[in-house]
Amino acid sequence: MQETISISSVETLNARMAQMRCAQREFAKMTQEQVDKIFFAAAMAANKARIPLAKMAREETGMGVVEDKVIKNHYASEYIYNAYRYTKTCGVIEEDPAFGIRKIAEPIGLVAAVIPTTNPTSTAIFKSLLCLKTRNAILISPHPRAKRCTIAAAKAVLDAAVAAGAPEGIIGWIDEPSLQLTNELMRDADIILATGGPGMVKAAYSSGKPALGVGAGNTPVIIDETADVPLAVSSIIHSKTFDNGMICASEQSVTVLDAVYDEVKAEFARRGCYFLQGEELDKVRKTILINGALNAKIVGQSACTIAKLSGVEVPEGTKVLIGEVESVDLSEEFAHEKLSPVLAMYRAKDFDEALDKAEQLVCDGGHGHTASLYIHPAQKEKILRHAERMEACRIVINTPSSFGGIGDLYNFKMPPSLTLGCGSWGGNSVSENVGVKHLLNIKTVAERRENMLWFRAPQKVYFKKGCMPVALDELGTVLGKKKCFIVTDSFLYQNGYVAPIEKKLDEMGIQHTCFYDVAPDPNLSSALKGAEAMRLFGPDCIIALGGGSAMDAGKIMWVMYEHPDVDFLDLAMRFMDIRKRVYTFPKMGEKAYFVAIPTSSGTGSEVTPFAVITDDRTGTKYPLADYELLPNMAIVDADNMMTQPRGLTAASGIDVLTHALEAYASMMATDYTDGLALKAMKNVFAYLPRAYDKGAQDPEAREKMADASCMAGMAFANAFLGVCHSMAHKLGAYHHLPHGVANALMITYVLRFNAAEVPAKMGTFPQYAYPHTLARYVECANFCGVVGKDDQDTLDKFIEKIEQLKAAVGIKKSIADYSISEETFMASLDQMVEDAFDDQCTGANPRYPLMSEIREMYLKAFRGEKA
Amino acid sequence: MTIENKQVIISRPTKTVYRAGDEIIKEFVPGYAKSAVLKEALNHALAEEAGLCVPELLGVSNVNGGWSLVIRAVEGKTMAQLMQENPEQLETYMEQFVDIQSGIHRASSRQMGRLKDKLNAQISSLRDELDATTRYELHVRLENMKPHTKITHGDFNPTNVILGDDGKVYVIDWAHAALGNASADAAMTYLLFALEDQKKADLYLKIFCRKNDIAMQYVQKWLPIVAAAQMTKKYGAQKEFLMRWTQVVEFE
Repeated sequence: MQETISISSVETLNARMAQMRCAQREFAKMTQEQVDKIFFAAAMAANKARIPLAKMAREETGMGVVEDKVIKNHYASEYIYNAYRYTKTCGVIEEDPAFGIRKIAEPIGLVAAVIPTTNPTSTAIFKSLLCLKTRNAILISPHPRAKRCTIAAAKAVLDAAVAAGAPEGIIGWIDEPSLQLTNELMRDADIILATGGPGMVKAAYSSGKPALGVGAGNTPVIIDETADVPLAVSSIIHSKTFDNGMICASEQSVTVLDAVYDEVKAEFARRGCYFLQGEELDKVRKTILINGALNAKIVGQSACTIAKLSGVEVPEGTKVLIGEVESVDLSEEFAHEKLSPVLAMYRAKDFDEALDKAEQLVCDGGHGHTASLYIHPAQKEKILRHAERMEACRIVINTPSSFGGIGDLYNFKMPPSLTLGCGSWGGNSVSENVGVKHLLNIKTVAERRENMLWFRAPQKVYFKKGCMPVALDELGTVLGKKKCFIVTDSFLYQNGYVAPIEKKLDEMGIQHTCFYDVAPDPNLSSALKGAEAMRLFGPDCIIALGGGSAMDAGKIMWVMYEHPDVDFLDLAMRFMDIRKRVYTFPKMGEKAYFVAIPTSSGTGSEVTPFAVITDDRTGTKYPLADYELLPNMAIVDADNMMTQPRGLTAASGIDVLTHALEAYASMMATDYTDGLALKAMKNVFAYLPRAYDKGAQDPEAREKMADASCMAGMAFANAFLGVCHSMAHKLGAYHHLPHGVANALMITYVLRFNAAEVPAKMGTFPQYAYPHTLARYVECANFCGVVGKDDQDTLDKFIEKIEQLKAAVGIKKSIADYSISEETFMASLDQMVEDAFDDQCTGANPRYPLMSEIREMYLKAFRGEKA
Repeated sequence: MTIENKQVIISRPTKTVYRAGDEIIKEFVPGYAKSAVLKEALNHALAEEAGLCVPELLGVSNVNGGWSLVIRAVEGKTMAQLMQENPEQLETYMEQFVDIQSGIHRASSRQMGRLKDKLNAQISSLRDELDATTRYELHVRLENMKPHTKITHGDFNPTNVILGDDGKVYVIDWAHAALGNASADAAMTYLLFALEDQKKADLYLKIFCRKNDIAMQYVQKWLPIVAAAQMTKKYGAQKEFLMRWTQVVEFE
């Protein structure tokens, strides 16, 4: 066994610290069971030594009251043990296997502890016990005035701890304390637990090591007119006389409301307090403070001793000297922290004046420490107002503040501690009562987990050629709807597409009206008009009939009808994860049931949670996305699509293909969406040319394309899209190309881009393990009947097949071919690149695009280069 | 120089100050630390070089083992004399006195010693006068004072300020000068006043704080420290007074 070095110089301090670090490394290996055994034995030993230690402290420091110091020692051992006996402080202290999170407690190492003269033995016991429980070594720097008793307390704890298995010398102390040694210790320790004067605390914070320091207190008490006066007065006397007022949370002033002032004063007098008269006030003032600083001779002395020192005669047994004073300014001696049974008393005309006084007293003398209030418990509003005003970390109600502040005596959720954090107000790093958690390093082990995914679709998706009247029947027979509002565009209205719906509604006796002023790119003013018409009509059901535009317009009007006050900018706010978005989308469907009936095979809007609207005054497009926007019912009836024009058939057909391809390549693609996407793209390859060529003459092709559109819609409603759509959105917006055409112009470049095995940056999503998009495209190709000699060859052939399809349905080779001049294109390019990069669709793309890469793809597409 | 024409101004156990023609000779007793004399000479020279109005230092010499400073004599009256002669103008003099001191505080020098070092050493040297606890408290208090680098005179009192017949104001006795905090210097001046006359001390502090726009508490924080520093000068009769000023605490 090594001999313990006694510390009286920098050299011996350093040698002892080295020794203690070795001991601590051993300690760090111990289990919770071993530690708890040591913690128990140490607490028991400290508890047993409470009386001799109290006597020593009183004798050495000449301050305080033996019997009260016994309580403090008792508290420091028993309450601290009780509070932390079951607390896990070693190894894994918290685990959640489902979330893959584990917290591991590690000791910090060597703790430097500065111990004050006011509570020397109890603070030494308290800090030593905390360190034993957390497997730290503790080196104590006692105050010269209290070094013997501080060391005795530490030794009692150490001996018991070592006997119970703790490493030798795990608790140490400076035998000959000096500022130099204390500073040296603070510089070299791993953390500092500083309790002491503001000077010591400041020194701790400036040592460069993490420090838990606390500051001065100047607890102001307010006695409200509703307070229980005898309880208040006796509580204050009890607390103020405890160890002759040396607990830093002890009351320093009492502000009494006018209405009860006389009653409070009489009660104080009756209970043995002395009110200083005339000259006596000045005599005490001059005694307690010297040049604005607290006289060391009065700290922890009894009221009688202080009276005598001041030359004031008071009755034997006087408990507290009270000065009735007016100023709360620092120029008033009584407004200071007095660490003795001397109390200032103020009169306040009302509660607000009392708050003003208390606020200043806290700020000037005990910022961040403790404030106290006596009041009827039913006065909730005043209690709250007091709490709001006091810049104090402990606010105790109807409680002796010495006991209330240290915790667990008058409130059992306030953790017991002899080191009371004062927050940033007091220049501290902690604002609560210091405990074991402040002496641990907590490691968080986080395992990779995947996000919960989902599959969401309208509750009812009805399909098959000729199904519409059957499906609509439900509105009357099952859902009991009374008023239906139909949204469509003027072309469909004028060509009789609405008539079958109206006929069916009439049959069921459902009132209806039709709004058919929807523009091709639905805009805000037409949506506002529609919403106004809706408000007047008051439907319980909305039927949106048309292509993407009419369905999107219907969705927007639906939002405005249900929530007239929403702000579009909020609704359209971009998000990274739809479940973590800042804005909560309002609840939909409270007023009306939403039915979507597509008349083109393209957008899939009947089953998606998306809608795009353009502000026609600014030209800004607002893409809205939230599952609240899912229609309640989708009716996919190819009869509504038979006479689609060829251009629309081609553009929206290719749009379906890009929906399917992007949903399949998306980082959020799942087995659930893959099946839908694959089947949708296969349908497009097989039936789009037929539908394009033969139109209404080939009802089977029309129906298969309708299904493809809806299936692709469901796939991307859940897996989302990618950078092809990001670029197409901006291309369409800047150069007025139909959405499907814009997608068609970009898709093959995106395939090539995404298929890179060494992308500049991959997308961020826990499910997305590594760049694998080439393999994903090969799966698509194979499913659609394309097989190459290897993956790369398959991709080449697949791209070729897409190009052939585009050509077959009349899509031109390049952006330039759509009569867009190079000059116009180049002028818009930079802004287009940035906007496309920031598009909502970019987030799900498997390859995270650099802006330069987007620019490159745009340029290739403009020139119609080979993908 | 001959002993005959010397005119003794002050005689202290460690030194004698006398006038010889146009020169003031500050002669220390043999055995007085050479380094202390040279330091005073250095401080004096640094004050001169800092542009402050001080009588010119002419030389340092050694006669029979006793070191002395030779300084050009200045004709005029000290502020102390004037305050005594014209008590009704005390406040006016005090205002001027503070202005002169503040003028010194605005000057700086790279080579002067640090006030904090000096005070720390002084507190440590008081082993016989102050117990370990008090010294510890004083060290902690000093440690937390901000380290400023203003020229502080360290013994700024009305006897060290001469209003010259030439209209200039001279400050003498730079033995205690150091780079430090103006408020520490003010605390020392306050203490020196308080040792003689508490009313003058209060008047001084009021004017100093007003003119420098600082809180009185800030100067007061230095009082226990400067009281300890003053104790190193062994003023027997004032020991009790100084001791009381050091017995303060700043608790948690």
